Amino acid sequence: MRAVWQIIRAQYRHDKSFFLLGVLVSMIPAAAGLLLLGVSGWFITAAAVAGLSGSFLNIFAPSAIIRALAIARTGGRYGERVLTHDATFRFLSDLRNRIFSTMSANGQRGARSGKLLNRLTLDIAALDTLYLRLVVPGVVAAVLALSLAVWWSTITLPVLAVGSLFICAWLGVFAFSLSRADRKTARRADAALEAMRLRTTDLVAGRRDLAIYGGLDAAARTVLAAEERLQAAETLEDRRALKLGAASGLIGQLFLAASLAVVVWSALAGHFSAAFAVALVLVAMALPETIGLLVTGLNRLPRIALAAGRSRQLMPEDGPAGPKPMVSDVKSSAGPPAVALSFQDVGFRYPGAARDVLNHFGFQLANGEVLAITGRSGCGKSTVAALAARLIVPGRGRILLNGQDLETFPDANLRSRVSVLGQRPYLFNDTVAANLRIARPDADANWLWEALEKASLADRIRSAPLGLDTVMGEGGLGLSGGEQRRLALARAFLTRPDLFILDEMTEGLDAETAAAVLERFFAFRGEASVLMITHKQREAAHADRCLHLTENPSI
Amino acid sequence: MGVVNIGQPLAKERQCLRRAGWLAAASDLLWIPQAGLIAFALGVLLTSLHAVPEETFAIASVSGPALVCVTGLVLLAILRVVLQGLGADMARQAAQSLQSRARAQLLTAAAQASPAADFPSSGAFAAHVTEQVDHLGPYYRNFFPQVLRLKIVPLAIVLATAWFSWLAALILLVCGPLIPVFMALIGMKAKAASADQQEELTRLSGTLLDRIRGLETLELFGALDRTREDIAAAGERFRLGTMRVLRIAFLSSTVLELFSALGIAFCAVFVGFSLLGDLSIGAWGAPLGYAPGLFILLLAPEFFAPLRAYAAAYHDRAAGLAAQENLSRILKECRPGGSSPAREGDESAVTARKCPGLPAIEVKAATLLLGGQTVFKDFNLLIEPGETILLTGASSSGKTSLIDSLLGFHRLEQGEIRIGGVSPQQAGPDLLQTICWLGQAPRLFHGSLKANLLKGATRPETVTEADLWRALALAGATDLVARLPRGLATPVGEDGFGLSVGEIRRIALARAALRTDAAILLADEPTAALDEDTAADVIAGLAKLSRSRTTVIATHDPAVLSLPGRIIDLNTLEPALAGVRS
Repeated sequence: MRAVWQIIRAQYRHDKSFFLLGVLVSMIPAAAGLLLLGVSGWFITAAAVAGLSGSFLNIFAPSAIIRALAIARTGGRYGERVLTHDATFRFLSDLRNRIFSTMSANGQRGARSGKLLNRLTLDIAALDTLYLRLVVPGVVAAVLALSLAVWWSTITLPVLAVGSLFICAWLGVFAFSLSRADRKTARRADAALEAMRLRTTDLVAGRRDLAIYGGLDAAARTVLAAEERLQAAETLEDRRALKLGAASGLIGQLFLAASLAVVVWSALAGHFSAAFAVALVLVAMALPETIGLLVTGLNRLPRIALAAGRSRQLMPEDGPAGPKPMVSDVKSSAGPPAVALSFQDVGFRYPGAARDVLNHFGFQLANGEVLAITGRSGCGKSTVAALAARLIVPGRGRILLNGQDLETFPDANLRSRVSVLGQRPYLFNDTVAANLRIARPDADANWLWEALEKASLADRIRSAPLGLDTVMGEGGLGLSGGEQRRLALARAFLTRPDLFILDEMTEGLDAETAAAVLERFFAFRGEASVLMITHKQREAAHADRCLHLTENPSI
Repeated sequence: MGVVNIGQPLAKERQCLRRAGWLAAASDLLWIPQAGLIAFALGVLLTSLHAVPEETFAIASVSGPALVCVTGLVLLAILRVVLQGLGADMARQAAQSLQSRARAQLLTAAAQASPAADFPSSGAFAAHVTEQVDHLGPYYRNFFPQVLRLKIVPLAIVLATAWFSWLAALILLVCGPLIPVFMALIGMKAKAASADQQEELTRLSGTLLDRIRGLETLELFGALDRTREDIAAAGERFRLGTMRVLRIAFLSSTVLELFSALGIAFCAVFVGFSLLGDLSIGAWGAPLGYAPGLFILLLAPEFFAPLRAYAAAYHDRAAGLAAQENLSRILKECRPGGSSPAREGDESAVTARKCPGLPAIEVKAATLLLGGQTVFKDFNLLIEPGETILLTGASSSGKTSLIDSLLGFHRLEQGEIRIGGVSPQQAGPDLLQTICWLGQAPRLFHGSLKANLLKGATRPETVTEADLWRALALAGATDLVARLPRGLATPVGEDGFGLSVGEIRRIALARAALRTDAAILLADEPTAALDEDTAADVIAGLAKLSRSRTTVIATHDPAVLSLPGRIIDLNTLEPALAGVRS
């Protein structure tokens, strides 16, 4: 529940004036609705009295008020909806940006489970409930109830007593529902839904495996078992929701009945006129609707709390995300130093791991040299690549690029000097051109074609009807594994780095494709030094020098 | 094939939903006597205060009826709440059973489709099973009962109003039907816009996830700041677009509000002027009394309430109908026309399988068409019991399709396949239970490593920890599992510990090795995309597994082809030897 408060506070801080304005404007239609019925009731009763007694009644003031209230209610509701929704969407859009920023800050990658990501967008979208269905109706109901209580206190004690009693009843029911918010069931429903999704994904993606190992029907049954759990939990939630709605509705109805009784009695006792009595009854009739608006939000709260908790994990702590330490005084290297990259006594351990991946590890890569680092999986090769690309920073020791400590490079500078070609190049679900321009935003079409040409992918892209504007991914250009690797190669060719890092670049490619990709790369690498991480002979054969890593190396 | 029926209520559920609508309507209709009681009590009060001169007499004559009215009001209130609850619960149950059925239908389709047939992507299918089916719920439980309520309640209220004043009834009748007209005009525009916007949101969410998944690439190219700006701009575009849609959508509910406020105001004014005596038409004969006037005023808001509820639930209807369409589309995709069902009803000859010893595999004059293309034609192959066949040939020469046919995943156009004398299609799951299989891209499932391995065993309860380690050793995976943080209990899957392609392959091989009683070994490109060390582990394991089994391994890896066995090249088949490919 704390996360809920934090999200609400975050929305308040995001734009205080919008937040408050939304609540304020929401008061107008709610108050106008109450008054409209009250004044109408008063008006017809006063008219009846005037009709009976033949006395004069000013009909213009009340009818003008009724007209004004009808307009205020209609217009106010429109303004309220537009304002509150706009405020919420502004906040959610800001939240998306902030979550992206947090995740892009150093050290946030890899630690995030796919599950969290898959639900991220759904969770964010669900957070609109907090302001729209809880904060706004909650504050409006509270303010109206308080104002009414003040008004009742100026009438008679019994009226005040009855009104306060029922407002307290509402408060009690809501507080009870809040304090007993069934988070366990919400979590169970959530887990069941997730299990259903995962098991269905497994069932469809692994149909061959399941047909032979375990059986498809059995797998379908496990999904349905999760479904059953989901329905059991949802039934509990729905029953609770029904109960809360019924309780709130019943309180409203009883309030009406009690108001009728106390008003008749007070009017008979001569405390106020019949017209006033009718106005009181009709206000009592209109109040439950305003208060009932809270019920939806309260019922959804346990689930929203889960979504808020998950989003909260991805949100930055309050205050701006700490910028990466940056030192901008990079000496402009007049002549290239002899050593492009050197690791000096580097040690590294992954958080939570029992032992170091690298320990007292060092090597030097001369300018223009091609160095291969080989070894079995798990020996720390990829850690070397990640360290050299500054995706992680060493626990001990120093890494020098062009003779200067890697950590002192400003990000932009470093990224223009080092290019990485990995085994799983990520291609974005965007156009071919956009995918290439990630490497160089100012590249014109000629450059892009030239890079594609070098990667021998130009013909393939040219054959697509939309050319560079073809969208990658589903329904668009389906590139094979080798073609994807070549697109990544074209992307790398758009940069002019001092150092290329190849991290298992031809992993998963068959021999022929791998040879083509490698040949293309070495034909166009230019003067740059190359650090190759590989366990394949075909790659290592291109190296000037080979470094074989055993487990826990100390070279 | 026509329209696939999914997400539709059965007759029984339809009846439940209708009953739920009746209950909701009945609860609404009880407001009429309630309003009557209130109007009566206040009417008596007014008369006693202003028409009867002696007040002492009034108190007794008023408090009695007032007490009766209040009691009646309370009883009716309880009845209303109960009816409402019953109706909502009934609708909920009907919607739940409907949703369950839709999910079962989808999953049955997934389980029965041939594993080799084209199938919607797992992500899309899972989204249909979860979210799309979820959309059906609100449609049936919220919207459906509203339709009946909308048909009954306003009419009843107009009739009750007309009993006292035809003019007030006329006011309601004029204001009421105008609402749908205006709302439809505005709503149509909003609907098109909101469909676009829904797509835009999906796209925005997709972009955000896509960029987060590719964060490392973005960082490596120093593109983080640029991307951040792109995402912010896309978010802002989406917000502006959504607000544009909502402004129209809210306009339609504002029209509803306006007419309902106007209706109430007209009624109040009409009643007020009638009571003042300025207006003498509208009632039947005698002028309108106070209590009937108040009664009319109290009823007016309830005339509009079902309309508002209907409009509020209209969104659920749109989502539900769209979901229904999507579901029947995906269900159709699950059973593409003309594809082979995985199993056939013919139960004969299943017992023949139980013969002792290793089975022979016979492929006689087999012809397979896939998507109109001939994969192989008049193909003949006899595999002796216990023999190892190494199937080779360029990619798309039909290696995988042949193995799929042996598994019974494809139906032959002509000819037949017999494994131990039984056709694989007839044997169905019984045959699959006796096969060790290692696929091209084996998949592990969410759960512990141990649970994944045990899927291989025919009788998991008899497998000991030692058996598991023996199987892992055979697959060269002992070190790999020992290195995992929680050993055999390590959770596998998207959420769990990430395994590399080679590691998954070795675990899958261990899973196959646990099927100790299998008589057949089938492997499809077992070393694809593996490094040499891992490939060596896998090949050694396969060599051991193939020793006591009738074996078919499809591969183009020279290292696998060096295993002892008969090599059959699908590209250069000698017609006399094995078969003919067209």
